[in-house]
Amino acid sequence: MCLIEGSLFCMLIAIYFYLRLGVDVWPPPGVQLPDVFLPTIALIPLIASCAGSYWASDAAKRGDRNGMILGMTLNLVLAIIFLVFRAFEWKSLNFTWASDAHGSIFWAILFLHTYDVIADLLMTAVLTFAVVTGRAGQKQRIGVHVDSVIWYFLVGIWLPLYVVLYWGPHFAGAPR
Amino acid sequence: MKRAVLGSLAASTAFAQQSALDAAGPNAYRIKLLGAVFLVLLGLIFLIVIALALIPLARRHRGIEQEPLEQRNQPSQLTERKLAGSVGAATVITVLILFGLVIISVVAGKTVSGPSNRANALVIEITGNQWWWAVRYANDDASRIAVTANELHIPVGRPVMIRGTSNDVIHSFWVPSLQGKRDLIPSHVTTDWIQADRPGRFRGQCAEFCGLQHAHMALWVVAEPAEQFEAWLTHQLQAAIPPSEPVKQRGQQVFLNSGCVLCHAIQGTTAAGQVGPDLTHFASRLTIAAGTLANNKGNLAGWIADPQNIKAGTHMATIPVKSEDVQPLLEYMETLQ
Amino acid sequence: MSTLVTSVKAPAIDASQREQLESAWRNKPGIAEWFSVTTHQAIGKRYIVTAFIFLLLGGIEALFMRLQLAAPENTLLGPVRYNQMFTMHGTTMMFLFAVPVMEGMGVYLVPLMLGTRNVAFPRLNAFGYWIYLAGGLLLYGAALTNTLPDAGWFAYPPLSGPNFSPGKGVDVWAQMITFTEISAMCVAVELIVTILRMRAPGMSLNRMPMFCWSMLVQSFMIIFAMPAVMVASTVFLLNDRTIGTHFVNPAEGGDPLLYQHLFWFFGHPEVYIIFLPALGMISSILETHSRRGVFGYPALVLSLVGNGFVAFGLWVHHMFATGLPQIGEAYFTAASMMIAITSGVQIFCWLATLWTGRLQLTAAMHFIFGFIFIFVIGGMTGVMLASIPLDLQVHDTYFVVAHFHYVLIGGALFPLFGAFHYWFPKFTGRMIDEKLGKIAFWILFFGFNLTFFPMHIAGLHGMTRRIYTYAAEMGWGQTNLLATAGAITIAFGGVIFIVNVLRSLSRGARADTNPWEAGTLEWAADSPPANYNFVNLPLITARYPLWTERSERGIVVGMRNDRREVLITTLMDAEPHHRSVLPGSSIWPFLTALGFSIGLVGSVAAFYWYYIASVLGMIGLIGWFWPRQPLDIKP
Repeated sequence: MCLIEGSLFCMLIAIYFYLRLGVDVWPPPGVQLPDVFLPTIALIPLIASCAGSYWASDAAKRGDRNGMILGMTLNLVLAIIFLVFRAFEWKSLNFTWASDAHGSIFWAILFLHTYDVIADLLMTAVLTFAVVTGRAGQKQRIGVHVDSVIWYFLVGIWLPLYVVLYWGPHFAGAPR
Repeated sequence: MKRAVLGSLAASTAFAQQSALDAAGPNAYRIKLLGAVFLVLLGLIFLIVIALALIPLARRHRGIEQEPLEQRNQPSQLTERKLAGSVGAATVITVLILFGLVIISVVAGKTVSGPSNRANALVIEITGNQWWWAVRYANDDASRIAVTANELHIPVGRPVMIRGTSNDVIHSFWVPSLQGKRDLIPSHVTTDWIQADRPGRFRGQCAEFCGLQHAHMALWVVAEPAEQFEAWLTHQLQAAIPPSEPVKQRGQQVFLNSGCVLCHAIQGTTAAGQVGPDLTHFASRLTIAAGTLANNKGNLAGWIADPQNIKAGTHMATIPVKSEDVQPLLEYMETLQ
Repeated sequence: MSTLVTSVKAPAIDASQREQLESAWRNKPGIAEWFSVTTHQAIGKRYIVTAFIFLLLGGIEALFMRLQLAAPENTLLGPVRYNQMFTMHGTTMMFLFAVPVMEGMGVYLVPLMLGTRNVAFPRLNAFGYWIYLAGGLLLYGAALTNTLPDAGWFAYPPLSGPNFSPGKGVDVWAQMITFTEISAMCVAVELIVTILRMRAPGMSLNRMPMFCWSMLVQSFMIIFAMPAVMVASTVFLLNDRTIGTHFVNPAEGGDPLLYQHLFWFFGHPEVYIIFLPALGMISSILETHSRRGVFGYPALVLSLVGNGFVAFGLWVHHMFATGLPQIGEAYFTAASMMIAITSGVQIFCWLATLWTGRLQLTAAMHFIFGFIFIFVIGGMTGVMLASIPLDLQVHDTYFVVAHFHYVLIGGALFPLFGAFHYWFPKFTGRMIDEKLGKIAFWILFFGFNLTFFPMHIAGLHGMTRRIYTYAAEMGWGQTNLLATAGAITIAFGGVIFIVNVLRSLSRGARADTNPWEAGTLEWAADSPPANYNFVNLPLITARYPLWTERSERGIVVGMRNDRREVLITTLMDAEPHHRSVLPGSSIWPFLTALGFSIGLVGSVAAFYWYYIASVLGMIGLIGWFWPRQPLDIKP
């Protein structure tokens, strides 16, 4: 699954630059450069949430039920904080996917990543519920471990995406 | 009987009006030659492969060259080594042949993609539309820019650069007798080089699916000697001559007072529509509706009366013309030489 | 959990063992169970039957096209219907027939060939099938409401964009692709894991059947290629059409060529995704009917892998006419010709096998010979097309149509028909009528060449693709008439094949387990196989287990037979690693597929249906993965 999603996101990054190279001014005139502050701050809870995943995964290996619950809860809390930051950032963007090609690719990347994050959060939540209610068998412990790997992937893939989306126009855009 | 068979064979191979095998210019000729080399070489390889496959089939009952397969259904080591040698040799030969083909392709590709001497080139801008071709003879001198549609004239023996783009969807400019095709893509400009080495009329057709009437988007390239071409081009630059006879003047009035002017332009009149083909010298063209109909009065009447019937889905509106206005209109259109 | 693996001389089939296996692997009768089945034989057969129905539909669409083109200025189909017809024909054949049928053959045969009992993820397998079916129903359901796509099977924008293709036809097309790609990715994922971790002990990678190698490479290709087309069709085209994005809209900075790059980045590997399983089938059939192991196993494996890699570096050869920089294009010429090497090596190895084999000319072998003839012609025209100057003349003409039908039908369909005849005894327990099979072959072979060979000539004479009619004076009438006569012949051949299948199903001679005296494992199972495939899982000591002495064959002991247990082995050498319990029947794959399908179908109308799909799908997935007793597996 990581292979599939990974190649998908790599393709989207390539597409971002393909579209960029097709025009002179990027983002197109009239569009405010995406604000760098909020997404940068948002990185903190995002990366910190990996600690929760690691804790849960490690606990899963040891069969430590409480560790799993605490680790996953930590992960969930920090991830939700991250999403809150992201929600504010979405509101502040002054272009939509229908504005122009830049808007389209920007929103596509942001939307797909956010969707994956929310999906994984839901999965983590369900797993937490399962463990809390005493249903933590071998398969569920493997599930906790897999869940954390997916989370590392989503955080890890976000880093290059973040650089491309928010710093890209500063390095690769035309002088403004 | 024999003559009938040969005759029909010749007729069927006399093909068409647009055959890549009927090369009339240096590019098409080179491509044809390249194709012949490929065909002979690859055809030979094919025959060898088939023979190698059929021979074991033929001798399967005779048991020749078949050693008893051991318990484990495997021939001897010696046989396997011999086979390995053959397969290896065949692979090496394949690589070499393909390598050679790559090289001659790249060389030929460079040659046909542009003439060595571009100084003398004529530049024609082609814009694809659903389902017709806008033609513009480029020139630094604005007074020498000629505009027409669906038909190009080019001088024999001179390289012509086609600069192409599209106003709507992707089309493709292709005149098989002269050159390979080049796509016309909106928001891109593509270039292609054509050249005719003998006078004649060469048909082309849109070669990228572009919608309902992709099948009826053809064009004609008329190659003529240099002086004739210059005369033609000069004539194209002139505005339409105002008609002198009353019937034809009436026809002009019908045209100018109808919806035709919303899409079509006729230089020298008030008609300046840019949506459809320029009609200034319409009557001098070979065909109507991008190669769909021969250009004569009867066809023109049918086309104007009901374009959807001839080219279903065409963007040309059906402009109602009163029956008493039809003849004068046709007569007027005929004056647009 | 330890397993004793020993060599047992002449193992007797323990009746109670068989009973336990029957009970554990049983699919109960009844409708609810039919929707819950997770055994790979059943799902494989469903893929194959469904795909075959789509083959017939695609064939009917082709017949309509050929009837329209048989004469100049024909009026059977107008431009609207004709454009829909060729779009549906291409789309059905490529997305709803060719890939799924190969997946189905893989799903059925791979566990049998590997000596295991099911694929790695049985519920994912079921889910993949339902999603595929949903995609096909979407497209043909839309056909019933006259909402047909008409922009071609690759739907280039701007023609396929909102401005030039209004209405929902192209939206349906774009979303159908999502279904078929998800389905293919499910099968790819499970086959990779099955092939890499569930081989019988002792079946090191170099003892694995060629068909499994081809499915392995093909599955990796699917994983890397399919996302590209999902991006192109769903993210780009569908959103440009429905929510106003501008990925491929030139007016606002988008680029139609971007779509082409993405589509062909998928599209070229796609044809190899279809072709590679066929190559595996050829090896299987050829070696059995030559009564020797196929020559050059390492070379064949390397060629398959090479094919898989190089296929990703060719896509621009579909775009030579778009005016891309020449230097770049020259690279793609070289790559496109070089892939002939990987195919060529395989053909040489097969010729070597034929040369030193003891040939049995069964109906299946007829199709193999047919493959050689037709595919090599297709390969030759492919080398011609790789040459840019030649391509620029014949691109988008009937020459290309001839080429790809030669390579696809010759390279994939003929081997597939050979496979149907070859594995028919295994799938159904009956022998297929050899005589009728050979008759069907000759009619198909003759009909195919009659249809498609003249198209090379029509293309050289200027006949472009996707034209609903042509003028009489173009001179294309005769070649088109011949092609139509050929198409009707093909249809006739197809009918004979179907008659043969139906007759043989009811009246064919009963087949024993190994009628062809083949060497690979699937021929050790019953004909047809029980749900558990083998009473005893085999121990492998050679590449052709059934060509080894009986006394040297071993079995695995120590497995539990009262539950769906399989043996997981190591990657390279297939040493036993641990035992795993596979899930039984479950309704959740169906329900999850239903949930996603409802949403994805709705998304053709409005974007918010994606959210509905997500919610419904999530509910399905929660049910699917909900912890069930026993929570821990006891050894």
